[in-house]
Amino acid sequence: MELNANAFGRNARKALLDKTLQEALGRTTGRFQAHRDAAVAALPEFEATRERASRIKGDVLDHLDTYLARFIEEAEKRGTIVHVARDAAQAREIAARIAWEEGITLAVKSKSMASEEVSFNEALQGAGVTVVESDLGEFIIQLAGEAPSHIIAPAVHKTREEISLLFERHLGEPRTDSIPELVGMARKHLRAKFLSAGMGVSGGNFLVADTGSVVLVTNEGNGRMGTVLPRVHLAVVGIEKVIPRMADLPTFLRLLPRSASGQVISSYVSIVTGTRRAGDPEGPERMHLLLLDCGRSAILEGKYREILKCIRCAACLNSCPVYQSVGGHAYGWVYSGPIGAVLTPLLVGLPEAAALPDASTLCGACADVCPVKIPLPDFLLELRSDARDQGLKTPGEIAAMKGYAGVMKRAGLLEAIERIAGVLGQFFTKGKGISGLPYPFSGWTERRDFPAPAAQPFRKQWKIKRGVTR
Amino acid sequence: MNERESLFRRLSAACGERGAAVEEPLPGGAPTAPEGDRVALFAKTFTAAGGVLLRGPVEKALSDLGEMLRSEGVTALFFPEDDAAAREIAEALVPFGPFNLTTGAEVRGGSTAVTAGFRAAEAAIAETGTIIETSAGGKTLLPGLIADVHVSIVPVASVVARMEEALAAFTADPPRNISFLSGPSKTADIEQTLTVGAHGPKKAIALLLG
Amino acid sequence: MTYTTGMDPKGPIPVSLFFTCLADAFSPGVCTATVEVLERFGATVRVPLSQTCCGQPAFNSGNRKEARAMARKFLLSFPDDGFIVTPSGSCAAMVKHGYPVLFRDEPRMLARARAVGERIFELSQFLVDVLGVTDPKSDFSGKVTYHDSCHLRRGLGVIEAPRKLLRAVPGIEFVEMEESDRCCGFGGVFSLKYPQISCKMTERKVERILATGASYVTSGDLGCLLNIGGLISRIGYPVKTIHLAEILAGKTVGKEDAG
Repeated sequence: MELNANAFGRNARKALLDKTLQEALGRTTGRFQAHRDAAVAALPEFEATRERASRIKGDVLDHLDTYLARFIEEAEKRGTIVHVARDAAQAREIAARIAWEEGITLAVKSKSMASEEVSFNEALQGAGVTVVESDLGEFIIQLAGEAPSHIIAPAVHKTREEISLLFERHLGEPRTDSIPELVGMARKHLRAKFLSAGMGVSGGNFLVADTGSVVLVTNEGNGRMGTVLPRVHLAVVGIEKVIPRMADLPTFLRLLPRSASGQVISSYVSIVTGTRRAGDPEGPERMHLLLLDCGRSAILEGKYREILKCIRCAACLNSCPVYQSVGGHAYGWVYSGPIGAVLTPLLVGLPEAAALPDASTLCGACADVCPVKIPLPDFLLELRSDARDQGLKTPGEIAAMKGYAGVMKRAGLLEAIERIAGVLGQFFTKGKGISGLPYPFSGWTERRDFPAPAAQPFRKQWKIKRGVTR
Repeated sequence: MNERESLFRRLSAACGERGAAVEEPLPGGAPTAPEGDRVALFAKTFTAAGGVLLRGPVEKALSDLGEMLRSEGVTALFFPEDDAAAREIAEALVPFGPFNLTTGAEVRGGSTAVTAGFRAAEAAIAETGTIIETSAGGKTLLPGLIADVHVSIVPVASVVARMEEALAAFTADPPRNISFLSGPSKTADIEQTLTVGAHGPKKAIALLLG
Repeated sequence: MTYTTGMDPKGPIPVSLFFTCLADAFSPGVCTATVEVLERFGATVRVPLSQTCCGQPAFNSGNRKEARAMARKFLLSFPDDGFIVTPSGSCAAMVKHGYPVLFRDEPRMLARARAVGERIFELSQFLVDVLGVTDPKSDFSGKVTYHDSCHLRRGLGVIEAPRKLLRAVPGIEFVEMEESDRCCGFGGVFSLKYPQISCKMTERKVERILATGASYVTSGDLGCLLNIGGLISRIGYPVKTIHLAEILAGKTVGKEDAG
């Protein structure tokens, strides 16, 4: 996907003025959060399960070489062909080669955020393959020529009117404002694709190391269709998605659907292992797994390694008041919200995305809901510090910081400034607030007042009142 | 050096010396097994997931089932050739429509009839309201995949309490496909409004027998 | 939770006041009120006047070099024993959680920071959890709603203490707002870097406040109150901001401030 993260400020302002988007955001995010909270409350062991999941993922990251090797061995034993892509270019090349070697002309795809990182669809299309997104939200935005704006609800920003227009234009369907009818149109249209596609492409929520299985967690049934009916199955999965054992899967299944959409479990969980066995009436004859590094091994080496625990539930997005205000597109890449603000700079390089770690008040709501306990606010703070170290801050900001620190070095200097400011402030505002401040504070006073400094700072009052000098 | 070797070089460097990987799962984990009747809990959770539960005796269930299928506009029924339990129910249901019998192959071939697919479940999970179907032993998954209504025949004895117990049977040598089915196909991708029947069955019915 | 430092529980309780740069300059009444309340419940309050700023704005914006300089000065400004109490949840959280990060590569400073972190409390947390206060003995009256500031609630885990104190004041009609724990949009430098998003968040907070019909909104963080108050003042909404310390102190205290 094209990267536009440093335009966050501009895109956020646009998003705030977009009435349709604001309506959609208002409707959806509160609902996700409410459902999630209810589902969590219904599982008394939720906190213990979070802790457990965090530790399991921690163990995986500590020994990713061992677990990934085990996964590949088991997967290959059962017929999976495992490919490794170091970066996006390699991933595209491998995808195109697989499609060409397998003679694919039509591929039906269920959701994979990792595939968005490497512009997978374009790679296949370049190789002459028609790629149809089958996840309803992805299908809608594919028709619209847009990128997903939320990890689990890609079309969260679209209204039914907009969707009906798209279906009329691209599918020849009559206009309607009935959501069940719209869903029925997509079902009909995509069913035909599932039945004729040569290849099903999926992501992978988990890779089970002791059996070589890929686990897909979906609600629509498209993940199942695409991995049962077509002759070839291609799964595109990040290397960090490994879990050690099948016995560990329930821990994650207790967290992912609850955190994502407030469900006890999704409608479908598919655990697929290798190719069809002799005698199976359905199933792919060929199974390919494209493992993506694409920056993950580099993250594993460093202080942000815990970010690789992420199970892509989007609970952090739903809880984030900044995301709720501007939506996902403003973040300018595949991942948005708190996870995006950390992962995007780590995957594409901080200079290309330095605006994102600042896009947070550090309120901590995300850390409260992360099912694997990633310390997102700590990482945002760390990235802001990295930005200073990498020379990405404006000279103005650095000068201001030095000035402020300089004043704070001496209480006497601070007091002198406060007293002058107090006198001037009272003189110019006569005790009322300030309605216009100069840059860089002008943003505040656009729509908010700011108090005038007190006539006398507390430290002076205290000295007078208690007759002390220090 | 090929890409895989290169990846493992990077991973080993990143993982460094951190001791051996943990061999056994961490202790604890599964919530305490639900007290009381697993079957009653399954009924509750399956219904909460949007499924419809019917209980034996078979004769009463058939009449209710027939009505449900008619109201969904079902005209044709299919079942796996080698699935005796599914065959028995489907064939007994024919006069309650009346319904035709068709095959999974015909549906897969693009038949536009509104269908109900019948299949015996291999297990059911009370914790989550889940029916398990696998491809083990060469069994077909079409009834739960491409039918408009999916009818699972669930032997009461196959209901287990938690996901751990259900998965234990499949860990040693998993089949190509293990499917957890919890209610009908759903989506909320349009205006966050929950709608059933995205790609999979619009209705999931569990017939609890025994 | 009760905290003991091995001191005589009936004797005077030594407290150093950490009055915060923001309150010092813009709302000194908050500082005065804090002293008043602490003394009401048996604290002997010292005010080390060499203190300036805990360094939070520098730390939060990633300028750790400057933050460290201010943190060093902060740690030198306070005595080695007794409690340190502040009317600011975010400043207490900065010292407790931010300083160990700032000094993670300096073992001596780290140890010192950790030791100070153990002794620092936000005002309501100190009153309820350490002094065991159940009735603040305030003569404040009015309909009051409470905003959970992010660092007080999530950073320090202080949720019930302010509510217990507010509910115990006979003249207060206390009403919970919806989304009381939702960020008000201040976020320090965030309000300057992304003012439009910040304002949108403040608007939502003010909507929830107005829906309660309260005459006052209070909080344990002055930054939040200046932010919320700034929007209220610009539009002219019929609700006032007032710091928790000022409510606890009561009607007759702290009128020398400007805000």
